[in-house]
Amino acid sequence: MAREVPEREQQRLRLEGVGRRYGRRGRWVLSGVDLEVAPGALIRIEGANGTGKSTLLRLLAGLDAPTVGRIVGRPRTAYVPERFPAALPFTAADYLMHLGTVHGLSRPAAADAADEWLERFGAAEHARTPMSELSKGSSQKVAVAQALLAEPELLVLDEAWTGLDDPARGELEGAVVERTAAGGAVVFVDHDPRRLAGRPDATYAVVEGTLNPRTGNGDAHADGPHVVVRAQGPAGTAPPDEVTELAALVEEAAGDAHRITVPESRSDAVLRALLGARPPWHVVSVEPEPEPAPASVPDLARGIVPRPREPESIETESP
Amino acid sequence: MTALLRYQAALLLRSQRALPPVILYAAVLAIGVQSGQPVLDSLGWTAAALLPVAAWLVRICATNEPSAARSCVGAAAGPERAHLACVTVALAAAGALGVVATVFVTFISDATSADHQIRLSAVQAGAAGLLATLACALLGTAVGALTTRPLLRSPGRAVPALLLGALLALVVTGSPARAAVSALVTGSQEGTVPVPVLPLAGAALLTAAAIAVACALTIRRSS
Repeated sequence: MAREVPEREQQRLRLEGVGRRYGRRGRWVLSGVDLEVAPGALIRIEGANGTGKSTLLRLLAGLDAPTVGRIVGRPRTAYVPERFPAALPFTAADYLMHLGTVHGLSRPAAADAADEWLERFGAAEHARTPMSELSKGSSQKVAVAQALLAEPELLVLDEAWTGLDDPARGELEGAVVERTAAGGAVVFVDHDPRRLAGRPDATYAVVEGTLNPRTGNGDAHADGPHVVVRAQGPAGTAPPDEVTELAALVEEAAGDAHRITVPESRSDAVLRALLGARPPWHVVSVEPEPEPAPASVPDLARGIVPRPREPESIETESP
Repeated sequence: MTALLRYQAALLLRSQRALPPVILYAAVLAIGVQSGQPVLDSLGWTAAALLPVAAWLVRICATNEPSAARSCVGAAAGPERAHLACVTVALAAAGALGVVATVFVTFISDATSADHQIRLSAVQAGAAGLLATLACALLGTAVGALTTRPLLRSPGRAVPALLLGALLALVVTGSPARAAVSALVTGSQEGTVPVPVLPLAGAALLTAAAIAVACALTIRRSS
């Protein structure tokens, strides 16, 4: 499903000795920041309010230029602000169509992607609603959809989950994981420590304007709760490559079936890949991994509480 | 860039915020232009009145989006390009308004010199009027670009600066707008049709510089 972003074509973004202050006598909001955002990386930025997190994200998104230091490389970028009070004279679908073309899609492709993403976030019925009449939550869905619809190489999320309902939050987590699986980089700030718990490749804390790597919380393989997908393909074929990449474990089971163990947050992507394969795979069952789950033990030991989630939403794929 | 222009143009049309400046322009023309008046005088008025209108249109386009929406577009296309699209759409709107007004005024005016003694070619007069009008649209755009975001963000300072800038652009010696308008007025008195190409070129240069400064500052002064 997701468009693969070949690594060689993609520009990596690098901050070198970046500092930012506003005005000649302003205090330094950020200083001496070195950061490289590799393709496919999932990076979490933490820090108290007013420490410069948002400024760092704006620098990463190219919305702001550093006062000192430099920023090298500019992948195709999308940004989601914390609040999106969209007093815009468009319907949601029209706005997304415009933004899709600004992101580089053709008009028909932008219209299709707009429908698809509104549907994924459960806002399809708002497609024809003027933006000014949308609720806070619905306009946040539009803000998220505009960032995802062109499959950006770099996705910058500034508390993007704030204001979303629970299914949409889960969907956004899934979309983030999909994006990184497809080779896009994602940098996010969120006040909820459980957000994408265990998934970031790196976590940084902004403290008094400097960026410090956080250790002990950045293990890419501690993936949180897993689910087991049983799927059946044409006799004698292996699951699609994309599935193998996303999954933690792929085993053959009785009767041409495969047992695919996958982190919960990537399960949507796996299902999509299975259903989208040619010829499509038949999904027999999706269920939580039976306890004790070896992969979730380290998480529990670290005190990360797995988020309670509804049994996975396969229906996002069906019209 | 096409997508950005289309987005900004749709924003301007649908927001209906362009209506007040357009109505103001129509009102000012109704006051200063009457049918049967000498064509070059009327065209001079038409051009001069467009300058503040163009500046106002730039202000409207530059402040049309909530900042969150501006950030989304800025990340996708680059804030400089996004701002360039804003200003370009405003300039195009002012230009279109000026062309329509110039054609209309040429049509209803008397193609003679100021004292109605010397006949002039209506087509040549109209062409001279177009050059002057475009020079004023350009310079108005420059004034607008320098007196709104990202240079001046608080409306308390930006609006007076815009008005003062527009006034100065019309009266200060050496301003291409003033040169273009006074070429028309002088031509009307002398019974000759001027070709204010030089003022137009000057206005284009100044405006390009102003827009470049404004666009470059989008990522320096953002917050």
